[in-house]
Amino acid sequence: MKIFDKILKAFTILILIFMYLPIVTMIGFSFNSSKSLGRFTGFSLRWYYQLFENRVIWTAFYNSLTSAAVVTIISVVLALLIANAVVRYEYRGGSLIDAFIYIPIVIPEITESLSLLILFGVAGITRGFWTVVLGHATFGATFAIVVLRARIAGFRKSVEEAARTLGANEIQTFFRITLPILMPGVIAAALLAFTLSFDDFIKTRFTTGPGFTTLPLIIYSSAKRGGVAPDINALSAFSFGVSLIFSAVRLFTLRRGRYE
Amino acid sequence: MKGFAKKYIAAVRRSRRMQYILLLLPGMVFLAIFFMVPFFLTALYSVNMVNRLKQIVFTPSLEWYLYALGMEGLLTIFLRSIGYGLATTLFCVILGYPVAYYIAVKCRYKDFVLLLFMVPLWVSFLLRTYALMGILSSSGLLNEILLGLGIIKEPLEILRTHTAIFIGMVYNYLLFMVLPLYACLEKLDVSLLEAASTLGAGKISTFLRVILPLSLPGMVAGSLLVFIPATGEFIIPDLMGGTQTYMIGNVIYSVFLYARNWSLGSAISLLFLAFILAIILVYLKYARIKEVVF
Repeated sequence: MKIFDKILKAFTILILIFMYLPIVTMIGFSFNSSKSLGRFTGFSLRWYYQLFENRVIWTAFYNSLTSAAVVTIISVVLALLIANAVVRYEYRGGSLIDAFIYIPIVIPEITESLSLLILFGVAGITRGFWTVVLGHATFGATFAIVVLRARIAGFRKSVEEAARTLGANEIQTFFRITLPILMPGVIAAALLAFTLSFDDFIKTRFTTGPGFTTLPLIIYSSAKRGGVAPDINALSAFSFGVSLIFSAVRLFTLRRGRYE
Repeated sequence: MKGFAKKYIAAVRRSRRMQYILLLLPGMVFLAIFFMVPFFLTALYSVNMVNRLKQIVFTPSLEWYLYALGMEGLLTIFLRSIGYGLATTLFCVILGYPVAYYIAVKCRYKDFVLLLFMVPLWVSFLLRTYALMGILSSSGLLNEILLGLGIIKEPLEILRTHTAIFIGMVYNYLLFMVLPLYACLEKLDVSLLEAASTLGAGKISTFLRVILPLSLPGMVAGSLLVFIPATGEFIIPDLMGGTQTYMIGNVIYSVFLYARNWSLGSAISLLFLAFILAIILVYLKYARIKEVVF
């Protein structure tokens, strides 16, 4: 059966190549001197210069970053409260609350997005930064709950009880005992909420107004125009670099999670 | 006033039920306002209960539902979306299962390999789709290589076909199948496999009768994580497809943002949602799993 294992290994490597091929190709052609995505004509950094001079992209990048940061904070705070409530206190109606929490995850995003557009329209709210943030926070919070819940469920209450016995009050216990232990879970939840928000197109498209453009909206309109935009290639090389850093953080938190 | 606050805090400390409610309240209020209320308004719009001045009127009618059901080609687009969703899910299982099995059971560097799979996930969905378009386009890398090797004479037109949508979907959603399957297979108790082999089961029957049933929850979770977004997908058919690959997401998008007909858009959206929920319920019942582990 050794051969079977080798086939499995080869298959996995093949799939891995399939996953990386488009991104790696794109990064490669971001150094291309011509606009072609098929033929490499020579090494050049001109698309990077073009990217760094593109004000529209940088404004959009800043918008994506700030809105995703606020979404992350709202999501993690709400998720910490709800996850604590759901795991630690068992009351009737718990399964109803579960359903309430998980529904935003299982329904198609576009149906949810248009209902938010209706809400903001009916309420007469001008769409922009805050409408995008509030829209994203619904999925941010629900995904963060899923992550944190698993973490809190594996948490030993006796540590908290020991802190209380030794004279710490609730607030001290939370910040000095509970939060540090839950930290890997909090980081994982925050990363998830951040990336989901940073990457989101549909919900942003439905909840944003004329003055607020995020990075996915820029990439979409560039791709939609159909023409080759090599500065977008440069952008993806950049974003690949960032995701490698994120992965390193993730690996680090995974290791730390193991120790505890 | 201060005395009241003190009493109140003392009451909260004593009552666990009160603590529970206070912890739940902010999140639940938030979800109610930004999740439940919007759907309620969508429902009102779909039955024509909101007039042009955005006031609620009590004259419900099903005219937009009837209009939607009578729209030419809408049923075809519905069925096509479901078809794409099912095909993508099936292929993700076929491609994803061996990968998840290899990483969870056979691989020595689990964390690292899993991370390798997750790195592309942190590159924007749009950028990944855009990169795939670049490779598949008529002047892209794939065609240049095939032309250069002399395998084809004319560049292949892959974009704007069913194949393009299909490749785009599997490429973007494969990981949502691999991760839950991996989570399930990793928990697999090796002693169960030894027991099966001691009791005389061959490799194939061990797989079919022990491993596969135990990984079923992961497969159900993965299928839902792939099927739902794939069926409601907008970006992939919009960027990689053409008129013959139009999906329900494209319809809702253009009715809402271009035609600006909120009532019709709401009706189509709710019909789609009902369809999706029905499929999910039937599927969960068929898979005989009461609770899906996400």
